[in-house]
Amino acid sequence: MRKIISGNEAVALAVKLARVGVVGIYPITPQTTIIEELAEMKLRGEVSADVVRVESEHSAMGVTLGAAVSGVRAFTATSSQGLLYMHEMVWWAAGSRAPLVMVVATRAVGAPWNIWNENTDFMSERDSGWIMAFASSPQEALDLTIQAFRVSEDPRVFLPMMVGMDGFVLSHTKTNVYIPSQEDVDEFLPPRRQPYVIDPETQESMGNIFQPFDYMKLRHSIHESIESSQDVIREIGREYEKLNPLSDYKTLNVEYKLEDADYAVVTMGAWSLDAMEAVDRLRQEGVNVGLYRVRYIRPWATDEIMRALGDKKGVIVFDRATSLGRGGPLYLEMKATIDSPVKGVVTGLGGVSIGKKDFYHVISKSIEEFRFKSFREVEWYYPGEVKEVELGTPRSSI
Amino acid sequence: MLPNYQFFPVSHPEEGAGGKTGNWRVVRPEVTSKCIGCNACFLWCPEGTIMVKGNKAEVNYVYCKGCGVCANVCPVKAITMVSEA
Ligand code: SF4
Ligand code: SF4
Repeated sequence: MRKIISGNEAVALAVKLARVGVVGIYPITPQTTIIEELAEMKLRGEVSADVVRVESEHSAMGVTLGAAVSGVRAFTATSSQGLLYMHEMVWWAAGSRAPLVMVVATRAVGAPWNIWNENTDFMSERDSGWIMAFASSPQEALDLTIQAFRVSEDPRVFLPMMVGMDGFVLSHTKTNVYIPSQEDVDEFLPPRRQPYVIDPETQESMGNIFQPFDYMKLRHSIHESIESSQDVIREIGREYEKLNPLSDYKTLNVEYKLEDADYAVVTMGAWSLDAMEAVDRLRQEGVNVGLYRVRYIRPWATDEIMRALGDKKGVIVFDRATSLGRGGPLYLEMKATIDSPVKGVVTGLGGVSIGKKDFYHVISKSIEEFRFKSFREVEWYYPGEVKEVELGTPRSSI
Repeated sequence: MLPNYQFFPVSHPEEGAGGKTGNWRVVRPEVTSKCIGCNACFLWCPEGTIMVKGNKAEVNYVYCKGCGVCANVCPVKAITMVSEA
């Protein structure tokens, strides 16, 4: 079935199709309409899930984790400050090796208040031990959310999984989305599997104090599971094509006009499509450039990336996130993976709008720099006229 | 590639689940003949390593962490804390 829906509606539908048993809900912009939609589905009797209202994001993850370790398929969603407030429980979920799924509609983190899109909130969880995917369209948000349950419940993985999507840009924009049938999803998602079940009848308990040696062993086993999840994700992605014949999830990340390209652009999320248009225009002008879209931050597909980007004359990485004082996290990861010259561009923070013209401008300028071997490693790019006016104008004289 | 091993943070109540806490000890409780077998030390020991057998308390030094709680609660001062050194 096809429907015109927003990214948030797509996620809510995915959760319904996955027959989730417990949803921990707490509203935060721009994620709110996911859980509102789920609450309304509950009201209409379309989902049987327990929709549990809590008093904070910390508790939202607490409820979701509690449900997951007691044997129920569980889901929650958050954004920005909410994700940061939940941070401690995010680590508990990974350390408990509890299969569960969370969607993060990304948004800038205060101070100062800013409700617009930026991926720094999502990227700041990358050391926590979750499987982390990032969608580039409402379609992908739906597909990845359904796949997330399968990935996280696979015995080779047994870890929670997070799906990111650009706040407002995807969460609130409606497009044509293909929705797989309930029968297909039922067949795709086997009954829930998990490594252990906490049951008051048994004497088992979870998360007790661990001696140093065992603690390190647990961390190591999470590391190994994330590594091995690469094959699991490809396998599940191939199988997903039965649900949506137009989808392509054979690989973790996505290549576009890359094979014969001398230069490559790396992006993640919704603006990848704008960047593709810029690549198309540059191709028409005879510039040999392609695009690599990162879909998975964890696991990090080192082999796929080396094969795709290892021999390029220059790689330009766009980050809608920053590790302040250093550069974009995607740029840092890329630089640690390949030997080709890598330039990082930090831009689009806090909702600053970046379109295909900006991509065209930065990419063509960067390729010139690569040619003359004089590129700045990390550049902050401000679009259009903002640059001249705002940057030169001090806000106060302190 | 399969993970080499899987490991989960689950524990079961069993002897020594928290490790050999006896390693932590710098002073050890020694029960003298004054003991009247009242069970107070058994009730209070946070590690569950002191047991009253017959009319005398006995300490399991593999797990006794030397906190001295037993010596403090003993109504007849039957336990003395002695340096391990
Ligand atoms: S010293 Fe502490 S741990 Fe050892 S027997 Fe006494 S109360 Fe128990
Ligand atoms: S508290 Fe003192 S008297 Fe009572 S059992 Fe323990 S050692 Fe003996």
